[in-house]
Amino acid sequence: MVNGYIPASLPEALKIRAAQKVIPYAGGTDLMVKNPKDAVYLFLGKLPELTEIKSDAEYIRIGAAVTYTQALNSSLVPPLMKEAVSGIAAPAIRNAGTFGGNLGNGSAKADSVLIDFTADAKLRLMSVRGERVVDVTKFYLGRKKLDLAEDELIVEILLPKTGLENYYYKKVGGRNALAISRVAFAGVLRMDGEKIARFTAGFGAVADTVLRFPDLEAQLTGKTLSEAKEIKDRLLRQYSEKLVLTRGRVSAEYRKAVCMNLLRDFLAEKGI
Amino acid sequence: MEAIQFTLNGKSVQYDGSAADRLLDVLRDAYRCTSVKCGCKEGECGACSVLLDGKLINSCCVAMGAVQGSEIVTLEGYRETARFAVLDKAFAEISAVQCGFCIPGMVLASEAILAANPHPTEAEVRVGISGNLCRCTGYNAIVTAIMNASKEGNGLW
Repeated sequence: MVNGYIPASLPEALKIRAAQKVIPYAGGTDLMVKNPKDAVYLFLGKLPELTEIKSDAEYIRIGAAVTYTQALNSSLVPPLMKEAVSGIAAPAIRNAGTFGGNLGNGSAKADSVLIDFTADAKLRLMSVRGERVVDVTKFYLGRKKLDLAEDELIVEILLPKTGLENYYYKKVGGRNALAISRVAFAGVLRMDGEKIARFTAGFGAVADTVLRFPDLEAQLTGKTLSEAKEIKDRLLRQYSEKLVLTRGRVSAEYRKAVCMNLLRDFLAEKGI
Repeated sequence: MEAIQFTLNGKSVQYDGSAADRLLDVLRDAYRCTSVKCGCKEGECGACSVLLDGKLINSCCVAMGAVQGSEIVTLEGYRETARFAVLDKAFAEISAVQCGFCIPGMVLASEAILAANPHPTEAEVRVGISGNLCRCTGYNAIVTAIMNASKEGNGLW
């Protein structure tokens, strides 16, 4: 066979990845749009180590080659992630597209990646040299730039098991199906009794990477909903200043207006 | 290295070309399965839909290396089934076909819908064909045909 390797196991895949210049191939839905003539693929889509969804004490562990359809049919995957991936493209793409591929493609428009960011997911990366676990927020270094070495593969996405129940998600696309996000927004509010334990707001498809502003999010930590309401206007002003967006398929102004509307809607829906 | 082995419409075949070749092109050019249409080559139109291990897939977005060990069904194979006969009749009865270019993909999408859920709601049918574009029918006739096939083919799926 030319232009491809089909490893039988993850260790074999890592050896090939270290020794050859290959493109990791999971679902193919992004890669095959370009499919350059000289591409040499490392086919990972059928590796047992990468195609399972598991649960341990802390995390839901989604294998990098798990497809969106597989996740939608799993009782382990949190509703926030399911809602986001159910809006990706259409059934045939969801049958092939994978969580690892969505990350590896490096786009800020990747709908599952917005949830990875909002959930503070971690990624398990492996190479023949060993493995490391990185925060997804640190994995993205810039537009299409990832903290992934030439010999590394994305192996698992680790989603926290709890804390994502009270969420808000909206994708704004040009149509109902087969839509690339123009703006996507995900928010999570976790309460500890009367007080806010965690407030997260992630903005997808509006800049080089998914955006979050931890210093602004932290302003609501420890506050009651009515205390949060008191500082809401100031918080919204600060978000408005920080949201410096780029132009893409739509203008930066449109993106910003939609981001602010969705943030306001999220806060209002959650009683802030 | 060895050739890529897979099953095409029930027959075991070997492909000794590049692992980076598109399944769509290979099905049409090497195996003459011309029911598989090329509409966009970017997974946006569904005209190249096939069943890969029973799942609806855009064959334009699959490299041959990913097919190793899999089962592919195109309309050429599917049309030999009793389920196809029900869909064929249902589409024909209400003229759910106009130019026909999207229809091989639509029929395989219909199979994928009914195999997963023999009695879908209209909304579920619309989600099921949401990746298959049709420029002629306006979709309503196709949705009705799939709903009718679901009733007529009771027990087949």
